[in-house]
Amino acid sequence: MGRAVGIDLGTTFSEVAVVQGGEPVVIPAAEGGNIVPSYVAISKNGERLVGQLARRQAIVNPENTVYSIKRFMGRKWGEPAGRELPVEEDARRKTYKVTRGPNNEVRVLMGGKEYSPPEISAMILQKLKTDAEAYLGEKVTDAVITVPAYFNDAQRQATKDAGTIAGLNVLRIINEPTAAALAYGLDKKTEETIAVYDLGGGTFDISVLEIGGGTFQVKSTAGDTHLGGDDFDQRIIDWLSDEFKRDQGIDLRQDRMALQRLKEAAEKAKIELSSVQQSDINLPFITADASGPKHLNITLTRSKLEQLVMDLVEKTLGPCKQAVTDAGITTAQIDEVVLVGGQTRMPLVLAKVKQFFGKEPNKGVNPDEVVSVGAAIQAGVLRGEVKEVLLLDVTPLTLGIETMGAVMTPLITRNTTIPTSKSQIFSTATDSQPSVEIHVLQGERPMAGDNRTLGRFMLDGILPAPRGLPQIEVTFDIDANGILSVKAHDKGTGKEQKITITASSGLNKDEVEKMRREAEMHAAEDNKRKEEVEAKNIADNMAYQAEKTLRDYKDKIPDALNKEIEGKVAAVREALKGSDVAAIQRATQDLNQAMQKVGQSVYQQGQQPPPGQQPPPGGQQPPPGGKKDDDGTVEGEFHEV
Amino acid sequence: MIPEEREEQTRESPEPTPEQELEEAKQKADTYLDSWKRAQADFVNYKHRAEQEKLEMGKYASGQLILSLLPVLDDFERAFASLAPEVKPEWVAGVKLVESKLRSILESQGLSAIEALGKDFDPALHEAVMHGTGPEGVVVNELRRGYKLYDRVLRPSQVAVGSGEPQEPEKKPDTRRHKN
Repeated sequence: MGRAVGIDLGTTFSEVAVVQGGEPVVIPAAEGGNIVPSYVAISKNGERLVGQLARRQAIVNPENTVYSIKRFMGRKWGEPAGRELPVEEDARRKTYKVTRGPNNEVRVLMGGKEYSPPEISAMILQKLKTDAEAYLGEKVTDAVITVPAYFNDAQRQATKDAGTIAGLNVLRIINEPTAAALAYGLDKKTEETIAVYDLGGGTFDISVLEIGGGTFQVKSTAGDTHLGGDDFDQRIIDWLSDEFKRDQGIDLRQDRMALQRLKEAAEKAKIELSSVQQSDINLPFITADASGPKHLNITLTRSKLEQLVMDLVEKTLGPCKQAVTDAGITTAQIDEVVLVGGQTRMPLVLAKVKQFFGKEPNKGVNPDEVVSVGAAIQAGVLRGEVKEVLLLDVTPLTLGIETMGAVMTPLITRNTTIPTSKSQIFSTATDSQPSVEIHVLQGERPMAGDNRTLGRFMLDGILPAPRGLPQIEVTFDIDANGILSVKAHDKGTGKEQKITITASSGLNKDEVEKMRREAEMHAAEDNKRKEEVEAKNIADNMAYQAEKTLRDYKDKIPDALNKEIEGKVAAVREALKGSDVAAIQRATQDLNQAMQKVGQSVYQQGQQPPPGQQPPPGGQQPPPGGKKDDDGTVEGEFHEV
Repeated sequence: MIPEEREEQTRESPEPTPEQELEEAKQKADTYLDSWKRAQADFVNYKHRAEQEKLEMGKYASGQLILSLLPVLDDFERAFASLAPEVKPEWVAGVKLVESKLRSILESQGLSAIEALGKDFDPALHEAVMHGTGPEGVVVNELRRGYKLYDRVLRPSQVAVGSGEPQEPEKKPDTRRHKN
C-alpha cells in the first residue's frame, strides 16, 4: 500500500499535497513551483506534454493543446447548463476541437485522436502522481480529489474515473469548500455553519456548509464564473495604459510586447500593494516613437488600486447574499469564514469579507494551497494516518521545577511536541539535606513564584552528604494525552517518588496567551531578578567552598592567608544580606582570587626538592620576592603570578 | 444540495468474549506497530529530504534574487537597442561596462543565457508567444531572453516560432488570459 495524497484538480491549475510527519505539505512540480497548469498537449513531433511545458507551446500548437478540460467533465452535448455554459458555447471558445461521442458525450481531439475528458484529466493526475512519487521517494497509490460543490453526480463520477485511469485508487471525492474547511480543522467543531469565500484567478465561488457529527453538508452555493484576480490585473493594465496615453499620446495596448510587460508589472504591483502602501511601476524603454524611446514610471498607491477594483470586490457580495439566503439563514448565524484563492490576500477583500460576515476570517493556511492541503488531510484520515490518538499536540507552556534561590529551572520548553520525556540531574542545597522537595511549575517567568504550581512532592531518605553531592534525577514525562508525570529518583539510594498531573493542559488558549504576554512584559525585570539570584547562588557556593577548603587543608595554609580568606568570606556573607548584585559579584570575585592563593600554597608545599639539590649552605636565604629556581620550589614568601 | 458520504453507524455489540477481546487487542497492537513504523519512516524520509533541501538551498538560494534582477538586464538591453546618435560614445562605453559588470557578477552566481534564436523550439526552455515568418518549429525571434541558474531554467525565453509560411496573420487566441 503506497502513500495517499490530496489533489486539487482545478480548471486552470492543479496541485497535490500529502501529510508528512503529521503536517500537510504541498508537493512541488518536477520543473519547479507548486502549481501545475491544467494543460495537456501533443507536440508537433508526437510527444505528450503536461503542465507548464504544455502551456508554453499553446500558442504555436493551439489545436493540439487542451486546457480547461474541467469544464467538460461529466457533460453531454445538448444538456441543460446549470452553473456552466452550455457545451456548445464552451466548445466554441476553445482552440481545440470538441467533438460528439457516443450518447452525446463530449470528446476532444488531440494529436489526431479522440479523448474523453476523464482521459485528459487522467494525464494531469498522472503527472501529479509521478512528481509526488519522485518527491516522496515512494509509490503513491491512493488519492482524495476535490470538485466544486455544485458538481453533479456525472461530473463527480467523471473525476473519479479520471483518477482510476491515472492508476490511483480514489479514496473519496470531496467538495472544494469542504477541503478548505478541513484544512483549518473545522471538522472538529460540532453543529457550526461555515462560509467558504473562494476568489481565484478567474472565478468566484461562495459556499455555505454545515458541520455536524464529523460530516459536512453543503447548504448552498453561488458564484460568478467570470470574476477573479485576472480582472483585477486588467483594471491596473487599463489604468496604466490610460495614464501613459494621456502623457505620451501612445496606446500601449496596441503593442504586444509592451502589453506583456504591463501585465507582469500590474500583477507584481497588485501583489506588492497587499503589504505596502504604494508601488513603483518602472518600465524603461516601454516603447518608442519618432522622437525617441519612451519610459513608463508611475506610482500606484493602495488607495488608488482600491478605487480601481472596488466594484469588482463588491460584485462578490451579491452571490454571498444569495448563498446565505438560499441556505435559509442570516449572516449572523455563520460561525466561521474560510478564504480560498490568492486574491483573498488583498486587504480590501479581507475588509469587505469581514464587514459582510461580521467576523474575522480564518487565516494561516496559504489560500492558494488550502484546498489541496484539506484534501491531503482527508486522505490521511481515510488512511488512518491521522487518528485521534496520533494527532500530536504541543505543550503550550514551559514546565520545570523550583531550584535554589526560588528560580524556575525549565525541563520541557513550551511548544515541544508531545509525547515527550526529559530528565535532568539535580542535587541538594545544604549539607546533610535529608530530602528534596520537587515543586512542579508551569509558566514562562524565571522566578518560581510568578509561575503556576502544578504539584509538589518530597523525596526523602537522602543519605547525609555534603551539599551538591547526591544525584537526584528528575524526569518529566508527558504522554500523548497531555498527562504529565514527574519522577524523582535518588541514584544513590535508589529511592523514587512520583506524581501524576492531569491539569497541565487544562488552560485554554486565552489563559496561555495571557501567561506568555506577562512573561514578555516582565522580561526585563525578571532577568534582573534572575541575575541577582544567580549572583547570590554563586557567592553562596563560593563561600561554602572556601570554608570547606579552609577546614580540609588547615595545616597547609599559612595563618595570614587563612585570615585573609576568612575576611573575604565574611565580606561575601555580608554582601549576601543585601541585594546589590554588583557588590555581591565583587565580593565573590575577591574571594575567588584569594582562593587561588590557597591552591598555590597547598601545591607548592606538597612538593619536595629533588635529590641532589642541596639547600644553599650557611645562612644564605633565597632572595626575597620568591624567585623560582629550576625545580620550581619556592620557600617562604610567594607572589601572585 | 449534494450531501457528503456519511460514515457508517455501527450497532452496539453484546459483551465481548475473551477471545474477541484478545483478537481486538491483537489487531490494535498490529495497528500501533504499523503506525509507529510509518512515523519512524516518515521521520527518516523527512530527514533525508531536509538534508537534500539544505544542499539545494545553498546552490539555488539566490534564485529568487537573481530572477528579480533579470528585468534590469532586459532594460539595459533595451537601452542599448535604442541608442540615439547624439549620445557621447565614451559615456555609452561606460554604461556598457556597468552592464557588463552586472552580468559577470550574476554569471559568477551560476546564471547563463538560454540559446534560442535559430534553435528548434523547446517548451522546456522557451515559451512561444507568437508565430513568426520562418521555418516551422524554429525560433525566429527572441522577445525576451531566457536564463538558467546552473542546470535549472530560471526564466524561459519568450520567442516567436516560425510557422513555415511566408506571411502569418497575428490573430491567435490569447490563451494566457484563461477566461475559459
